[in-house]
Amino acid sequence: MITFDLRLDRQNFKLDVAGEIGRGVTAVFGPSGAGKSTLLSALSGSTKPDHGSIKMNNEVLFSSDADTWLAPERRRIGVVYQDGALFTHLSVRKNIEFGYKLTPPDDRKFQPDQLMSLLGLSQLVDRKPGQLSGGERQRVAIARAIAASPKILLLDEPLASLDVARKMSILDYLKQIHKTFELPMVYVSHSISEVVNLADTVIRMKDGKITGSSTSVDLLLGAVPVETDIEKYSNQFEAKIIDSSGAIGIVEVDGVKISTPRLSGDSGDSVILGIGANQLIVSLGKPERMSARNVLPGDIQNVSARNGRAYVEVDAGPNLLVELTESAVHDLDLKMGMPVHLVFKSSNVEVYSDN
Amino acid sequence: MTSEATIILLSLRIAALAMLIAIPSGMILAWLLARKDFRGKFLLDTLVSLPLAVPPVVIGYFLLWSIGGNSWIGKAWESLFGGNLAFTWLAASLAAAVVALPLIVRSFAAALQGVDPQLETAARVLGAGPWRTFFTVTLPLAYRGVLAGVLLGFVRALSEFGATIVVAGNIPGSTQGIPSAIFTRLSTGDTGTAWRLAFVSIAIGVAALLVHNLLLNRAKDSTEKSPETAR
Repeated sequence: MITFDLRLDRQNFKLDVAGEIGRGVTAVFGPSGAGKSTLLSALSGSTKPDHGSIKMNNEVLFSSDADTWLAPERRRIGVVYQDGALFTHLSVRKNIEFGYKLTPPDDRKFQPDQLMSLLGLSQLVDRKPGQLSGGERQRVAIARAIAASPKILLLDEPLASLDVARKMSILDYLKQIHKTFELPMVYVSHSISEVVNLADTVIRMKDGKITGSSTSVDLLLGAVPVETDIEKYSNQFEAKIIDSSGAIGIVEVDGVKISTPRLSGDSGDSVILGIGANQLIVSLGKPERMSARNVLPGDIQNVSARNGRAYVEVDAGPNLLVELTESAVHDLDLKMGMPVHLVFKSSNVEVYSDN
Repeated sequence: MTSEATIILLSLRIAALAMLIAIPSGMILAWLLARKDFRGKFLLDTLVSLPLAVPPVVIGYFLLWSIGGNSWIGKAWESLFGGNLAFTWLAASLAAAVVALPLIVRSFAAALQGVDPQLETAARVLGAGPWRTFFTVTLPLAYRGVLAGVLLGFVRALSEFGATIVVAGNIPGSTQGIPSAIFTRLSTGDTGTAWRLAFVSIAIGVAALLVHNLLLNRAKDSTEKSPETAR
């Protein structure tokens, strides 16, 4: 869909990259200073590279040989910036309609009202950006970018300044948008949890170069060399509070009760829970009479193993990633489609408050 | 003797035309200084501020040399419209514009610097061309500072004396604004009129400065409150 081959030489920084971006969700992953944002900025037309070419669906956006440089306003590439970059003098509605109104009527694919309700912004349309929370601002930025009917959406660490609970809900919105609109996305991040949650393909960058591309699970498995310390993967999912009165909290996930450390919300509120991929235990039968309090039934969606490590993806209501040893996968003969139970201790559950 | 009302109206007309000249050129210069990196930027910055640093009489003399009857501009003007460009109210406006320009450019540049360039980038990516971006994003976000600069430039143009008297003279009803009228009345001993005109000058100046400071305070508040520019 997009092919690029770029070189750019600045005082303290060199970018020299070539690659392809497909129709799905592509993550660009790497340490800060790797050139991830510069790459996005070249694709969107905000930074002009010194040499090379960019093509999108056979349209030349940039070619140093042909001396072609398409201005950003003529590319139809959407961008969501880290801090939203909302127009502070305009209301939420005017922000979202900014690009929509500049799109020729025949090219308009998404209605602002549809986007505002999809992103839960309908109550906020008359507010100014200064009156919004960080999460709300990013949702407006996403709606604004999509309302201009881009051919592809670039997201430059859009969640970096948000807390876990808000990240979670926006990642869900993004997944939904990708599904609903079949909008290709490029997602820049240095957070493995965000990348695994969203992307099919991961492009890895370091020092202004692309060091490889892989699937996101391969990245987790350590099957590919990565220059940053990859954080331990934590599954995050939403749950509903049943009882928050005692030292042990009770929540419900997809019809199953789970106990957690002490909760602060009221019954009926939703909370975001986190559980480490290495703190989940896979059991083939339904386990009984044991000290761990929580059992979630589910089906195996995917098994990947390499170099002694393995990740098993289980659909247990939320999709959960379980880290195992390769020999455990082998001994239990874990395969796609198999029904399993996931077991974990309530003390290992992290609770992220929504405020 | 021309009436005081005529003098005040003429002064306002000269200053208004001066603003029509200085606002667009000032905005282009301010935009170059605030947003662009180029060779000779330092030189341009110095040149723009020069009218603040040299005696207005020198500016007037320089202008007279540029647009007087022997200059090519002066000759071109004469063949097009007949008559002199120097010693007309247009020349007085030109002098006022040149003296007001440094204040306008500096105010505009500060106002433009208060606008996060990423918002302009975002507007371009959303489909707005450079002009539309300027008029729908940059200017609305910078308008308080811009308006303050216009006010400051306008009162500076109204008080212009030294450059004007050299390039436009002191012709009642044509180039005699408030300052040169006060000068004439003082030298002929008509201190009553001089006082009244002085009072009008002070009243306009105080009003303009009050609004100017109010606008700048508001502009500062809105920048501090805005989360996008608070980084």
